Amino acid sequence: MYKKNKLQILLYILPTLLLAAIIYGISVITLVGTSFTEWYIGSSPRFIGLDNYIEMFTGRNDFYKAFWNMVIWIGMQCVIHVSIGLLFALILSKQEWYWKIARTVYMIPNIISGAAVGMLFIFILNPEYGAVNNIIRAIGFKDFSVNWFMDYNTAFFSVTMMWLPYAAVPSLLFLAEIFSIDRALYESARIDGATDLQINLYVVIPLLKNTIGTAVILAATGMIQKLDIIMVTTGGGPGNETINLPMYIYKSALMDNNFGYANALGTFLIIFGISIIFTIRLIFKVGQSDM
Amino acid sequence: MKKYLCHPQKGLHILGRILTYVFLIVLMLLAIGPFSWVLLSSFKNNAEIINTSLALPKSFSFRNYAKAFEMAPLASFYVHSILIAIFGTLFNLTVVGMAAYVISRFRFRFKGVVIALISALMMVPGAALLQPLYLTAKNLGFYDKLYGLMIVYAAFGAPQSLYILSSYFLTIPREMEEAAYLDGASFTQTFHRVILPMAKPGFATAGVLQFLLCWNEFQFAMTLTTGNKARTLPVALYYFKSQFGTDYGVMFAATIIVIIPSIIVFVLLQEWVVSGLAAGAVKG
Repeated sequence: MYKKNKLQILLYILPTLLLAAIIYGISVITLVGTSFTEWYIGSSPRFIGLDNYIEMFTGRNDFYKAFWNMVIWIGMQCVIHVSIGLLFALILSKQEWYWKIARTVYMIPNIISGAAVGMLFIFILNPEYGAVNNIIRAIGFKDFSVNWFMDYNTAFFSVTMMWLPYAAVPSLLFLAEIFSIDRALYESARIDGATDLQINLYVVIPLLKNTIGTAVILAATGMIQKLDIIMVTTGGGPGNETINLPMYIYKSALMDNNFGYANALGTFLIIFGISIIFTIRLIFKVGQSDM
Repeated sequence: MKKYLCHPQKGLHILGRILTYVFLIVLMLLAIGPFSWVLLSSFKNNAEIINTSLALPKSFSFRNYAKAFEMAPLASFYVHSILIAIFGTLFNLTVVGMAAYVISRFRFRFKGVVIALISALMMVPGAALLQPLYLTAKNLGFYDKLYGLMIVYAAFGAPQSLYILSSYFLTIPREMEEAAYLDGASFTQTFHRVILPMAKPGFATAGVLQFLLCWNEFQFAMTLTTGNKARTLPVALYYFKSQFGTDYGVMFAATIIVIIPSIIVFVLLQEWVVSGLAAGAVKG
């Protein structure tokens, strides 16, 4: 083995560390530090101990609504979204004529900006000119008019539909994993008389356990981050019907300018996110892979 | 047909196929329907949009597109987005590529700590950092600057790029570098002349994903800029919402203008995106 050069190693790794320290390091320290202070725009932070956290858990505010909405969305995403992705991957893995084009088309909503996806939905769900209401009117319900994003009965559902069915990312993970399965396993199952359904249920899905765990982690962390799409469409409304923690943080920090409180929420969100990841890892026993 | 009726297995098989197709068609419609409808409607005038919502446009006029560029400084937002996406990607790949190389090739003290730290960054939800990062940007002077967003995005994409690149470096045989060292090449020369050319596919994957991140990011583009000096396209969209008011066709056109580059980049380079997503997520 060739001689290693300590200085070179340091020089190569330092820029990344600096970048991480400036963008993440300073921010996380500020976040946690100021979460114990009272701090509004224009004033300097004043230490108030745990008051922000007490306000968060016991005050009259949107915290619980935001938290439970987020938890419901995480649950739906982990179960329904990942299942849709799995089903899609199992179908595409047969590699029929359409599989590549279907994969490309399905990816499109995932590669465009969340803000743009939000705009598309604002347009198609517009009560007056939107495609959805017009299609419903065209098939016979002449007076149908629902303001999907503004109606208390439909807002949560409408927001959920902007991400729940778009499971291209988990399906890509599953496809990559299915293609790496030894073909001989299928062949022997088929010789034993197993149907496609049985092969999927008893051969393929058990082999995908680790990947399912990964997909569930990604689905959950995605929901902990969702902000752009909510900001563009409902802004958390009507009332606080579609608020989640990121949206609540945005409102507290940039609309109420209550920085100390927003940063207490942010600290909570990080701790919650990390515990979710470790819980899912425990459930699926995802192996700790080293880079 | 009669044959199928006496074969319950066959009947189930056909039912399964029908359900499969229904499932696929619904997903395809959901994926492409909203975009297609907005794209078609972007060629209509306001009266057509309101009265014949589901009809094809009478003519394919680019009037709305021209108007979108006239009414808002879309062209300069476009330039911002392109600059940030290109330089944010190059910066990310340069910095992270170097780190990924030494991480995948050498043993050194604190290597475990470095890897753990950078992986931990993946667990930090962006929303939590909105206000602290705004403060950092103000204090360090990169608030409302194009290079500010480039630096921030380069950092956001660092864990993902690091993972993709170091996995790729691991697939390059060490013999290549040993031969270069024997020929008297220095550390830097080996990295530049031997490793970089061989790692192009790895850089392509990481680069496409980083490009899309820079192009699409919304909330920090929003909080770290003000006015029109450094705003990117996704933020522009948000402001059009109020600015264009009832000029629907123009708003549709503006949305399409933001979306099209992502789709083009993806369709052209999709093999890399697909393999990169699969590789990048295996670690979770």
